[in-house]
Amino acid sequence: MPRFIVGRLARAALILLVITIANFCLIHAAPGDPAAVMAGEAGDADPEFLEQLRQRFGLDKPFHVQLWVYVSHVARLDLGFSYRQQLPVLDLILDRLPATLLLSMSAFAVSLALGVLAGALAAARQGRFSDTLISLFALIFYATPLFWLALMAVLLFSIQLGWLPGFGYESVGAGYVGFARALDIAHHLVLPAMTLGLFFMAVYVRMTRASMLEVSQMDFVKTAKAKGLRPGVIQRRHVLRNALLPVVTLAGLQAGQLVGGAVLIETVFAWPGIGRLMFEALSQRDYNLLLGVFVVSAAMVLLFNLITDVLYRFVDPRIRVTS
Amino acid sequence: MRRLLSIPLALTLSLTASAVLAEPVSGGKLDLIVQPEPPSVMLGMITNGPAILVGGNITEGLLRYDEKLNPEPSLAKSWTVSEDGLTYTFKLEEGVKWHDGKPMTAADVLFSANDYLLKMQPRHRNLMSHVESVTAPDDYTIVFKLKEPFEAFIRGLAFYTMPIIPKHIYEGTDYTTNPANEKPIGTGPYKLAEWKRGSYIKLVKNEDYYIPGKPYIDELYYHVIPDGASRAVAFETGNVAVLPGGSVENFDIPRLAELPNSCITEKGWEYFAPLSWMWLNNRTAPMDNPKFRQAIMYAMDREFAKDVIWNGYGKVSTGPISSKIPFYSDTGASYPYDPAKAKALLEEIGYDGKPLRLLPLPYGETWQRWAEAVKQNLAQVGIPVEIESTDVAGWNQKTSQWDYDIAFTYLYQNGDPAIGVGRNYKSSQISKGNPFNNVEGYSNPEVDKLFEEAAIAFPASKRQELYNEVQAKLRQDVPVAWLLELSFPTIYNCKVENLVSTASGLPNSIRDAWIKP
Amino acid sequence: MTDFWKRFSKHRGAVAGLLILFAIILLAVLAPVLFPTSPWAMVQRPFMPPFQNGEFFLGTDTMGRNLASGVAHGAYISLLVGLVSTVVSLMIGIPIGAIAGYFGGFVDDALMRFTELFQSVPSFALAVVLVAIFQPSITSIVIAIAIVSWPPVARLLRGEVMSLKSRDFVDAAILSGQKPATVIMRQILPNTLSPIIVLASMMVAAAILVESALSFMGLGDANIMSWGYIIGAGRTVIRQAWWVSFFPGVLILLTVLALNLVGEGLNDALNPRLSRKGK
Repeated sequence: MPRFIVGRLARAALILLVITIANFCLIHAAPGDPAAVMAGEAGDADPEFLEQLRQRFGLDKPFHVQLWVYVSHVARLDLGFSYRQQLPVLDLILDRLPATLLLSMSAFAVSLALGVLAGALAAARQGRFSDTLISLFALIFYATPLFWLALMAVLLFSIQLGWLPGFGYESVGAGYVGFARALDIAHHLVLPAMTLGLFFMAVYVRMTRASMLEVSQMDFVKTAKAKGLRPGVIQRRHVLRNALLPVVTLAGLQAGQLVGGAVLIETVFAWPGIGRLMFEALSQRDYNLLLGVFVVSAAMVLLFNLITDVLYRFVDPRIRVTS
Repeated sequence: MRRLLSIPLALTLSLTASAVLAEPVSGGKLDLIVQPEPPSVMLGMITNGPAILVGGNITEGLLRYDEKLNPEPSLAKSWTVSEDGLTYTFKLEEGVKWHDGKPMTAADVLFSANDYLLKMQPRHRNLMSHVESVTAPDDYTIVFKLKEPFEAFIRGLAFYTMPIIPKHIYEGTDYTTNPANEKPIGTGPYKLAEWKRGSYIKLVKNEDYYIPGKPYIDELYYHVIPDGASRAVAFETGNVAVLPGGSVENFDIPRLAELPNSCITEKGWEYFAPLSWMWLNNRTAPMDNPKFRQAIMYAMDREFAKDVIWNGYGKVSTGPISSKIPFYSDTGASYPYDPAKAKALLEEIGYDGKPLRLLPLPYGETWQRWAEAVKQNLAQVGIPVEIESTDVAGWNQKTSQWDYDIAFTYLYQNGDPAIGVGRNYKSSQISKGNPFNNVEGYSNPEVDKLFEEAAIAFPASKRQELYNEVQAKLRQDVPVAWLLELSFPTIYNCKVENLVSTASGLPNSIRDAWIKP
Repeated sequence: MTDFWKRFSKHRGAVAGLLILFAIILLAVLAPVLFPTSPWAMVQRPFMPPFQNGEFFLGTDTMGRNLASGVAHGAYISLLVGLVSTVVSLMIGIPIGAIAGYFGGFVDDALMRFTELFQSVPSFALAVVLVAIFQPSITSIVIAIAIVSWPPVARLLRGEVMSLKSRDFVDAAILSGQKPATVIMRQILPNTLSPIIVLASMMVAAAILVESALSFMGLGDANIMSWGYIIGAGRTVIRQAWWVSFFPGVLILLTVLALNLVGEGLNDALNPRLSRKGK
């Protein structure tokens, strides 16, 4: 096991290195640079001013030197300074990370809980009307553009009904502390987490349903039936338990993607997370910040994949993890 | 469509009626919006809109300006101009202290004008090209000797065109990495207390401010809310009391302005006087032909743009100088919406229907819609246009490298045509890499001469004559396609009194504002 | 073929999906006939609510443009982007997956690491960056969608090829001296067609969603009125004019739903052995 983990870590590091280099090249291929953006905003510039900015940002050095400087810094876990904000990139990311993690994890929990529940229900009532209904609903949420669902949710729950706040992380300037603040944040979390969760739920519904139906065909379930156990017990103890394995695997893979995948939801709900940070850094050509977000989110994905693989081996030692 | 026009007008009228003078009251906190989050609020280093909005409370200049752009005292309590217009002598306010307690003297002004700003700000380098020398005969007197009479000089001393920077903090350091940039030291009515990135900037009252009793309000919170609709909701729910111009989408303005206790003002933009136009690349056919450029002017329905896209705010521009700043005159050719005339002009020059690229300003939905409307207008007279989408960086790159056919922009006029207008039309200002100079590549020796002479003519009446002439010439030649004098109304809770008291608006007026109990 | 139809039509959802899809294709094709005026033309007063005027039954947007016309013309764009980007991503994914699966060993390892690279970056985020960097245009959007969506194709094909490779008819072809390229093209790929078709139908759906999301973020081609563009443009006025964002959203929902249903039906019909149990 330790050898396996070390091997996987080495591979992840290599992938991370390639991603860093590839993204560095990609980002520098974009038109304009941070100096031009800042000059543009100032409403006034001359060549001397631009030169000063470029010097300050180290953009006057040859490309390969910039690349080497960046990669060697990342290797020492130093993500550098944001050109624009004049703050360490890591600080900026860590500042935003909790909001994104809170959103993703809540959405993740919602989707997994609802998905498994609905999927199990559909499987138990296989072929009946409620099965069709659940499957259809899941599919509809899957087919709805995420941002549109979010907009409609804001329109209905926030503007028409006035039940839930339609934007933001907490009430600005309200000065809540402690429990009141937690409650306030939770209140703001409902709409974004539900919308994001419902979208991912569809996947789990289908997977749980299919997996449960497959397991229920297996011999040990037939044996249990023959022993005269009640159907509810069989469903819970035997079928669901075994059917969850592939669902958990998928969940592990999804969790990684969630970190960087909430750009849209963060945009609609003005959620101050990593996704927004990335988008802002992109339009401001804040190279270091943008690269930092990419490196961190790729590292997250790789980490979650690794954890899933390890768990998988742990849960089911017969499986030899190859790719 | 025109019915939309009446709403803002009625509102402005009702407002003036309610502005009754009362005795100011101290205390309270004010919640405002800053959008987008500024990179820094150190005005010596960065002077974009959001930085000015917050930094204007921290850093001051020698003068302030009233809505007619007449100079008023700020750090300079009085001043005299010699009869030949060459010597400007300023008496500084005594007893002004920096936020760290050190006294502010003429040495700081000297350092700012001669050293710091000369190194850091292109705008200042421009202004100083007219200045022979800056001296300080004593601790509270500062003398600018000019090379030639430059009447605009008196309007170039605002808090962001010539911010006064503390010498004892910056002298001998690397200006860009000085730790004080994080928490600027100024003389202003407010100090930076806390900056929670992505969330808010908090300023607190400067208890040692040199004007007794001011400022009235204890704390200012500038909230960062990245989404326009969310900013509107924040105002509706009362979490934010002031929406500075441009914080919400235009379509939301009438709705917000009609809320109970909601006040709206268009004042406070007289110094900036934002004017929008389209760069027409004069270097390439068919834009090299003045008749083609005139055709574009006739083809555009600018009243529609004002009424529908800008919700009735703003004013259709007549030419290169905004009607809000001195030396404007309405003389010369005018271009009402007249597609037939545009078609006739195109016919006359034998335009072959060559498709053109149109670069919108990447500043949000309003500008996107505007580009779409212009595209339709031009298509109607037979000019096919392809919109090129890009972001801010791409837009800067394309305009400053002259890689465009038609490109939207808007620029501040900064109080005087010699400062903010000439730069866009003089042939000496044609140089790549800068999106704010003569980007269109227009070159006319007559216009060059007029702008040069008008800048240094003395007294003002002489300047007026020359500017009249140059305006008429430019309106005939249409080097760029002028669109609207933009208006960015400030929406605020009516309990805030005297919010806007200078020509540069919110950024340096809040010291005079107070909250009705 | 009749077998295929029999199995397909058993799946009632798939039949419904097919009907919806036909209706939308029809709308896309007939858009220039039904609405000959450009969808960009400002033809009425702005913010006209729906169902008040026969010609503008879906109302008008912020600039007085006919929403019904925009939605119809948008159908064409969305379907086109979905199809083309799927074809492009198949063209990337199929060769990579086939080569990896056929040769195995080092080649497989290298190609799969390469695939993993693309899967380690959140895909929508990558699409956003690609479009922003290469500047929004219909081409850059299609390419960006293709680049982020080919990895599943490669993985699927690799698996299929690996299992097919051990079959007798492939062995026979190899023994008869056929070159690897010929074996892959002639013997293996034709047998992977059904799972690819099923995956492709789902990919078209996903591509439509990604395109609309990109347009919504302001990264659309400004000369093309797609559904995502209309929603994005309507978003700022959602309180004044809900209909601008509502109708195109419903159409995206219907299209994506239909494509997924058809995909499921195809799956049942083409891979009867693997068909979803229980239907």
